[in-house]
Amino acid sequence: MKQSEFLAIVLPFKDKLYRLAKRLLVSSEEAEDAVQEVFLKLWNSREKIGDYKNPEAFAVTMTKNYCLDRLKSKQASNLKIVHSNYQNGDNVQRTVEANDGVQLVFKIMQTLPEKQRIVLQLRDVEQFDYDEIAEMMGSNETAVRVTLSRARKAVREQLIKQYNYGVS
Amino acid sequence: MELAKVEKLLESYFEGNTDLNQENALRSYFAAEEVPPHLAVYKPMFEGFQMAAMESTEKEFSLPKKETRSRFWTYGIAATFAVMAGLAGFMFSQQGLTQEEEEALAAFKQTKEMMFLLSENLNKGTESMVHIDEFTKGTSNIALINQFTETKNRILK
Repeated sequence: MKQSEFLAIVLPFKDKLYRLAKRLLVSSEEAEDAVQEVFLKLWNSREKIGDYKNPEAFAVTMTKNYCLDRLKSKQASNLKIVHSNYQNGDNVQRTVEANDGVQLVFKIMQTLPEKQRIVLQLRDVEQFDYDEIAEMMGSNETAVRVTLSRARKAVREQLIKQYNYGVS
Repeated sequence: MELAKVEKLLESYFEGNTDLNQENALRSYFAAEEVPPHLAVYKPMFEGFQMAAMESTEKEFSLPKKETRSRFWTYGIAATFAVMAGLAGFMFSQQGLTQEEEEALAAFKQTKEMMFLLSENLNKGTESMVHIDEFTKGTSNIALINQFTETKNRILK
């Protein structure tokens, strides 16, 4: 397979992989590194990429696993995730203005358990089908729906809490 | 969209029972300016997801150049094998003789025997040369006879 053919398959979902990586790793640089790493791995197994009926799902799974590994090794070395992408909660103006509310949603998503974060990202941001998400997660549709429901409810709960706090 | 329908959709949304079309309907509903106060809390949620989907990276991702490295690596292996094969061939040839070499050796032995035979016969020939010496002695003796005849002639004069 030539590089041009490979890139034609892989580049259309570059940003999806990047967003998922960023959702998990938080830092943009680390997310970019993750995507680069995943592209290299995909390139090295490029003869197989044709065998997968859904290269995108395969790439997403790879990205997810890579990021989870990174997070695990970070935890092991006791490194705190340092990032400057989102405002600190104390600085968020507690108004109901749209942008601040969106920032708040991002911040809340960051507090979710990894699995919920991934499923929420894949469904509500990237709009994948349930069966695709199940394939990416190595799980089944029912389990995906349960995780998704929990993630959505957790975001809602946090939002209502902040909302009430801001209003009162 | 009617309020009652939105509320119903929201309910199944939080249970994870909406399909993508229904979720899109919710997204566009909350993207609109006017939302009843009791639903306002969901606005940032759906807006946030849409904004999150717009994020992208400008980074250029690079792939290894035309697998040069892996090919050199193969050449290395091939060269190693070639050298090994050469060495092995050399070692084996030292141990056993090839048929050609054996033939050559046999021919050499044969030639050597022939040479021995030849030199033996030659020696026989040189042995007979001793008789020539005696012949020379004989001829010198004849010279003495000549002298004897000369002296005898003088006396007889």
